This record gives sequence, C-alpha cells and structure tokens, in this order.
Amino acid sequence: MSETPSHGPVKYIMPKWIRGPQDFVGGLAMVGIAVFALWASSDLQGMRGFSFGAGTAPRMFAYLLLGLGIAITIVGLVKHGEHITTYAWRGPLFVSLAILSFAASIRPMGLIFSAFTSFLISAMGTPETKWKQTIIVGICLTTFCSLLFPYALGLPLQMWPKFMIR
Amino acid sequence: MGEVFSNLGMGFGVVFQLVQWTPAFLGGMSIPIPVNILLCLIGALVGTLVGVLPGIGTIATVAMLLPITFGLPPVGALIMLAGIYYGAQYGGSTTSILVNIPGEAGSVVTALDGFQMAKQGRAGPALAIAAIGSFFAGCVATVLIAVLGAPLTKLALAFGPAEYFSLMVLGLIFAVVLAKGSVLKAIAMIVFGLLLSMVGSDIETGASRMAFNIPELADGLGFATLAMGLFGFAEIIRNLDAGGETDRQLVQQKVTGLMPTRKDLKDSTPAILRGTALGSILGILPGGGAVIASFAAYTMEKKLSKHPEKFGSGVIEGVAAPESANNAAAQTSFIPLLTLGIPPNAVMALMVGAMTIHGIVPGPQVMQKQPELVWGMIASMWVGNLMLLIINLPLVGIWVRLLRVPYRLMFPSIVVFCSIGIYSVNNAPTDVMLAGAFGLLGYWLIKHDFEPAPLLLGMVLGPLMEENLRRALLISRGDWTVFATRPLSAVLMAISAALLVMTILPSLRKKRDEVFVESEN
Repeated sequence: MSETPSHGPVKYIMPKWIRGPQDFVGGLAMVGIAVFALWASSDLQGMRGFSFGAGTAPRMFAYLLLGLGIAITIVGLVKHGEHITTYAWRGPLFVSLAILSFAASIRPMGLIFSAFTSFLISAMGTPETKWKQTIIVGICLTTFCSLLFPYALGLPLQMWPKFMIR
Repeated sequence: MGEVFSNLGMGFGVVFQLVQWTPAFLGGMSIPIPVNILLCLIGALVGTLVGVLPGIGTIATVAMLLPITFGLPPVGALIMLAGIYYGAQYGGSTTSILVNIPGEAGSVVTALDGFQMAKQGRAGPALAIAAIGSFFAGCVATVLIAVLGAPLTKLALAFGPAEYFSLMVLGLIFAVVLAKGSVLKAIAMIVFGLLLSMVGSDIETGASRMAFNIPELADGLGFATLAMGLFGFAEIIRNLDAGGETDRQLVQQKVTGLMPTRKDLKDSTPAILRGTALGSILGILPGGGAVIASFAAYTMEKKLSKHPEKFGSGVIEGVAAPESANNAAAQTSFIPLLTLGIPPNAVMALMVGAMTIHGIVPGPQVMQKQPELVWGMIASMWVGNLMLLIINLPLVGIWVRLLRVPYRLMFPSIVVFCSIGIYSVNNAPTDVMLAGAFGLLGYWLIKHDFEPAPLLLGMVLGPLMEENLRRALLISRGDWTVFATRPLSAVLMAISAALLVMTILPSLRKKRDEVFVESEN
C-alpha cells in the first residue's frame, strides 16, 4: 500500500477543548472564505434606494456564509466529532503538477507533447506505477486523444510544438 | 391526452430523424443516417464505459464527458448527454453488483444485496433484474414527463420573479434536507456555491465583481471548469489517497446465466413497481434525485418485506427496488429542469451548464419556442433506456474486463482527458489551472465532510436567484414582504420553512440519519 496511512486520526495537534476538530477547522475555513469575499466585494456599490447594487447580493451571501461558518465552528467546539484525517501529499502534489504542466505547455508545445508529459507526471502520484507499462499506455492515450479531440470532435487544438510548425 | 401523443410523436420524429450523408468517395450517393439515435447510442455506451470505472460517480462522468458534446448541434448534444447520464448510472450499478464498489452514491444500496448475489454466483440475474427494473422505470418516467410537461409549463408561465425566487429557495432547502450529513454544512456549501457564482460581471450594471482584474475571471467562473475540478480531479486525488487497489474484491467467477428465474421475476415485480412509483415522486421534488430515491426505496422494501432479516444477504428485491427507483428519479428530475428551468440536483445543474454553453436558457420559454429540442430529448430518454437494456446485458463481459484495469493506469488517463476537455472549452490554459485549484478545494471539502454536490447546485442557481430577487424587489418597490404576500410564493416559502424546521427537530433528524446509515454497514 501507499506509504501514507490514509485513515489514522491525527491526535494531539488540536487542544482537548475542541471536541470536533473536523468541523472546527471546516467552519473556520468558511469564515475565512466569507471574510475574503466581503473584502473582495467591498468596492462594489450597495443598495440604491430599493434597487440592488452590484455588491448587494455578493455581500448578502458572504454574510450568510459568515454566519454559517461561525455556527459550524461552534458545533465543532461543543459537539464530539470526527478527527481530521491526514492528508496524503503524493497524490495531490503530482496530480496538481501534471495539471500545471499541461496548462503551461499546451500553448507553446501542442497537444501531443503536453498530454504525454502530464500523463507521466500524474503517474508519479502513486508508488504502484510500473514505468514500462505506464509509458506504453501513455503513448496509446496520447494517440487516442489526438485523434478524438481534433478529428472526431472537430475541436481546434494545436497538435505539435509551435517551433516545429514554423 | 391528444396533445401528449402529438408531442411525443414530434419527439420521436426528432430522435429518428435521418440525415443524408454524402461522402465524396461514394461519388454523389447519399446514405441516410439516424444521427440522433447514433448519438444516443454512443452516449449510453461511453457513459457506461466511464461509469463502470470504479470510484467515478455519475456527476464526475457527466462532467468529464461534457466537452465531447460541444461540437454537436444543441439537440444532438443534449440527447447524447442524457444518454451519458443513463449510461453512467447503469455503469454504477454494474460495479456495485460485481465489485462492491458503488461508482456513485445512488447505487450504494444496490451493492448491499447485489454483491452478495454475485458472490453466490447469481451476478447474471442481479444485473438482468437491475436492467429490466431500470427499463420499466424509464418507460413510466418518460410517460410521466410527457404528461406533466405541458401543464407544468403553463403553471411556470404564471410565475413572477417572487415565485421563482421562492421556488428556488424551496429547491435548495430540499437539497439540504435530502443531503447526507450535517444540515449546517450542506447549507454552507450551497451559500459558498452562490458566492462563487457572483464572480464575474454583474448582469445589470456590468460592474466587475470579485474578479481581481484577471481577464479570465471577467465572465465568471466557468461551469465546466468548476464541475470537472470538484468532481473529476478531486475524485482522483481522493481515490489515490485511499490506496487505489486495496479493496477491490472482484468477483472472479464468470458471469453465466443472465436469465433470472421465474421466482426472481415474481419476487422482483412488486419491488420494481414500488421502486418506480417512489422514485418518480422523489425525482420531481426539487433537491431530490437518484440518490435519495434508491435509499428510500431500499428502506421501504425492507420495511414491507415478509423477511426483512434476509436483506443484505442477497435478495433480489434489494436490487430491483433501488435500481428502479434511481432510474425513475433520474428521469423525472428532468421535469423541473425542462418546465421551470430549475435544476433539482447536481447532475441537472450540469445539464443547465451544457444548455447554456449551447446558448439555450432552460425554462418554460424553451418548451414553447423550441419544442423539438425538449420533446426530442424526452423521446430520446426512452430510446436510451431501451438501448441500455439491449446493449448492456450482452456487453457485461466487456465491463467486467474494464474493471480489471488497474487504477495506476486509469487515473493519469483521466487527468489528461479532463485537462484536454477543460482546455477545449475556451482554449484557455487558465481554466485548466483553475480546475486544478478546484480539485484541491474539492479534496479538502471531502476531507472535512463537506459535500460538493450542493455547491454545484448553488453555483448554477446563483445568478437566477439574484436576478429574480432583484426583479421581485424592484417590482414591489423594495418591499420584502412581497414573498409572503403573493399567495403562491407564500406557500412555497412556508413549505421551505417547515422543511427546515423539521430537519432540525431531533426526532426527524434521527429518521433521516437512519436512512443514510443503511449504506455504511
């Protein structure tokens, strides 16, 4: 199995008086998002008479989320609940890297290059990867995608790196 | 009644429409091709193909396959999407029966008895009954949509902005009541979705809101981007976390003898009938949908059964009822979408997203202005169900083989496929990065027991709610009591309030939890 234990609760990080760490942190994060949204929409116009301004609805929802976040945090304080499970780092890291690499390379390098590299990068997300097999499947998938999207579906995608087309 | 038949007739006309194909190599000869039927078939096949992959739910499947419909004309695209949806659902039940890994929440209960049947070597009959039950439910639901479509559309035309707003509130409250887990968290997710939908330019003043001068955000967050990030990428990351291969106990025996025995049929008939009825009703309710329908049908069947203790050890009713119910609900949930323009659940929210991409604003106007689109889609539902029945049973062998594809090869493929899909929506690399960010967000949400489905619903309903709220208040000259003084709106608001109070009451809350606990043991 993977080297990151997936379900062991993390103990002793949170002080004892927080009875439901999962809800507590979740609630705080909602509060954070709400505060951020309030700040982000602070420059927008509010109510003009009885008609809504651009900022009215966003602020309304943000205040609502703020209230809910506080409520969830309080629930996390008083009610016994789940611990926070550990986060795996390997999967999220390599999947994100693969996505980033795709986004960065699709314009300059074209579909074939970026699809294949991001396939390989995301394959690093699990220790179970067998490279020979992965490379073969990667080639097959790249071929499949470069036939499916531009030809079968008629989407305008650039296939080869820019410097090669020129 | 006559109207229903003529409408359905028009629908089938659209589905069976032939397009003359004149390829150059035939030298001017043309071949008639039933394009829409083909699209429906491809949709159902591809949907099952992806839906069968363990750990990929219905929403993820539809989100992932959304881009392949972009190049099609609107009618074809929607027919194909509907096909994908049913295919995905059917694929989900196949995995729960054969591998005990429900591909989606709706087939969790199917796994309880279905997998036991498979272990006893009765996977064939279980799959067959699931298909037959789904087909029967699909037929009933199609008729129901056709019958209810027109009158509900007329009702919808009488709705003013206040009524629309109240109806959407009701829908969201329903979604909360029927969601699994904490009520507070579900509401928070909806509001978060509403908030995300505010990003971009304001519909009335055109002012840029919360876009931070990033040009890609000026038009708002892309719906496909959000859905694929929250469901596609997040699912992958989560599955990696759980160590992909560990709990796949694939049934190794060959699936033989598809035909159910006479006793199976006799036992499952009442279950199918009850499941269909319950599913149809729950599907129409805003916020309802396939998941809750299958849970409720299983619970009901267990309560009504003469031998409730046998449930969970491989009884055919335990497969028949939830499968019929979830298919019935999957289809009747199109009713609020097509007539009122309000998506009742996350999959329908995706449908709205697809419609908007094709320039269609769902609602009563569509029913009147583009009847061939709506009725074509309705007729295609029936055709899609028939196809699933015909293609899936013989193809079970292929689906089983697909289940053996190791996750280590599957997930990089999904990452690449999703990335290309998102990029192809706008040809924007930023969208891909945003989806990646939403993937991480989705992973975090799952870790903290927040459900991402209500968020998606909120995201789609946000602009509609804001618009109607603004209009209602403008018409009433700023008077907030308008929601309580207009009779229809008042009724809807009263139901919402009652529902919310009921969910918070301890006794009812226990009941609600009970239904969901079923899935966990």
